[in-house]
Amino acid sequence: MPVFECEGRMYEVDEDGFLQEPERWSQDVAKDFAQTEAIADLTDGHWKVINYIRNYYLQFGIAPMVRKLCKETGYKLNEIYQLFPSGPAKGACKLAGLPKPTGCV
Amino acid sequence: MEPLSTEERRKAFASAKKPDIVRKQRLPVRYHVEDFDVTDRPRRFLQAFAAILKHTNYRVALDHYVRVSAKCARCSVKCQVYLATGDERDVPCHRSELLLSVYRRHFTVSGVLRARVLGDAGLTDDKIQEMAESFYNCTACRRCYFECPMGVDHGLITHLGRYILSEIGIVPRALAVSVREQLLGATGNTSAVPVPALIDTLEFLSEEIKDGIGVDVSFPVDRQGAEYLFLPAVSDFLMEAETLMGNATVFHATGDSWTIGTGYFDGINYGLFYSDQILEHVVKKIQVEAQRLGVRKILIGECGHASRSAKYFYPAFCGGKDALPVINIMEYTHQAWKEGRLKLKAGAIAERVTYHDPCNIARPGWIVEQPRELLKAICGDYVEMTPNRRDNICCGGGGGTVSIDEIQPYRTLVGGKAKADQIRATGAKYCVAPCANCKKQLRELVAEHGIDCQIVGLHDLLYKAIVFG
Repeated sequence: MPVFECEGRMYEVDEDGFLQEPERWSQDVAKDFAQTEAIADLTDGHWKVINYIRNYYLQFGIAPMVRKLCKETGYKLNEIYQLFPSGPAKGACKLAGLPKPTGCV
Repeated sequence: MEPLSTEERRKAFASAKKPDIVRKQRLPVRYHVEDFDVTDRPRRFLQAFAAILKHTNYRVALDHYVRVSAKCARCSVKCQVYLATGDERDVPCHRSELLLSVYRRHFTVSGVLRARVLGDAGLTDDKIQEMAESFYNCTACRRCYFECPMGVDHGLITHLGRYILSEIGIVPRALAVSVREQLLGATGNTSAVPVPALIDTLEFLSEEIKDGIGVDVSFPVDRQGAEYLFLPAVSDFLMEAETLMGNATVFHATGDSWTIGTGYFDGINYGLFYSDQILEHVVKKIQVEAQRLGVRKILIGECGHASRSAKYFYPAFCGGKDALPVINIMEYTHQAWKEGRLKLKAGAIAERVTYHDPCNIARPGWIVEQPRELLKAICGDYVEMTPNRRDNICCGGGGGTVSIDEIQPYRTLVGGKAKADQIRATGAKYCVAPCANCKKQLRELVAEHGIDCQIVGLHDLLYKAIVFG
């Protein structure tokens, strides 16, 4: 299993760099993972998206539908792409500590 | 079409993100493969090949193909991958010959005798590696089939090659993980959507329709004895809100009974891409759910491979002539519109619209004109891509490759290059691609090539054009 190391902290990740131990997630973990997505600074906008995805995941066991994410956070899809260059399914979910989405996503 | 520059080629062929894994597995491929036994591969490959030949009727096709295959390379003019790379290894009949030569050498009498005389040692590890690379460079779009004067179906040979490779553990991790969740996981679908999340999503979509067009449209769940069991690509529940809203609104307008089953609601069948065994297991999940709910027809959502795998293999594995009929949602909507049960507003879409044919439903000539007639009825400015219909160019992510993120540069810069040029040439604002595979690939494609075109499903547009009352 590959390991992602950030300033001495070690995380078990999959081949695409997604956190393998979802229970270890915290805001600090999201900050560590932000640099792998080429995000320099996590703004309030980032946190709004990350927290919504994280809470939805804890309740339902999966990321929310993209349209629901947009509606609940008030961002348009292209604005989410500006925040997370690799998109809601890859970038935002990675920072929220979700497993990598599978299937045609 | 211009061949790729050296820089483009370098970028497209950049190796996988984890070279250590690739090295360990001794596979020079760009997709991840899970850990598997790397010893004695030629023997195990031949064993798997022999077992497949014994239990299937591939032998009939292969016996014919090894005799008639002329290796004339006429297929090359139809292959978008070859036209982009200019590499002879991407000529369809060159790729097919990789497998046909193994068949000829090991499974025909003349081949075995010739090998005895000439001292040919047979299948080598290098050749297996070449196949592992080559069979996933092909998108299995089967466009070359029309050009082959001898009728060799290279898509079928790619499928068989992948099937044998999967039996010895060589299968892209992205596909294997999704299928494992679908067949063995708690959620039973490829995107791991749990039922409570499905219900929450459907309620959300109903609210969205109410907010949007002011109509109470419901998504019936587990309705016993419904006419249609609806199975979209499960990723639609995460990605394609408007397609699903359009699907439900069409049913609301026609008044037919339909249902989504909580026991199984995934149309995706990756078995079509790499394994007949998986194909059978997944198709049978549809049968179990159809029997549980007592439905009369199977209705597949906007997805090319899901439609083809159900249409052609549901009867094959689930009862032959007695199997339930399988139809695609576009056929259903078209029929309802023809019968006058669905009213559409002419000119509802003013922007320029074009249509991309998903290979799996257009190549057999199954769903070609239906969506076009619907689009022409609602669009003010509808244009065609060239070539189109049965001769369409693949999105570049066919054959399951769209799910393999590691090869995204290959898909957008090599496999999808021809498609990008095609879309740009239409100048369309909307490109309708009624397929979960194609949608994902085309979105990545227009982003990579900087084309100002929105990729949508057919029902996304119909949703805006349905007239009630």
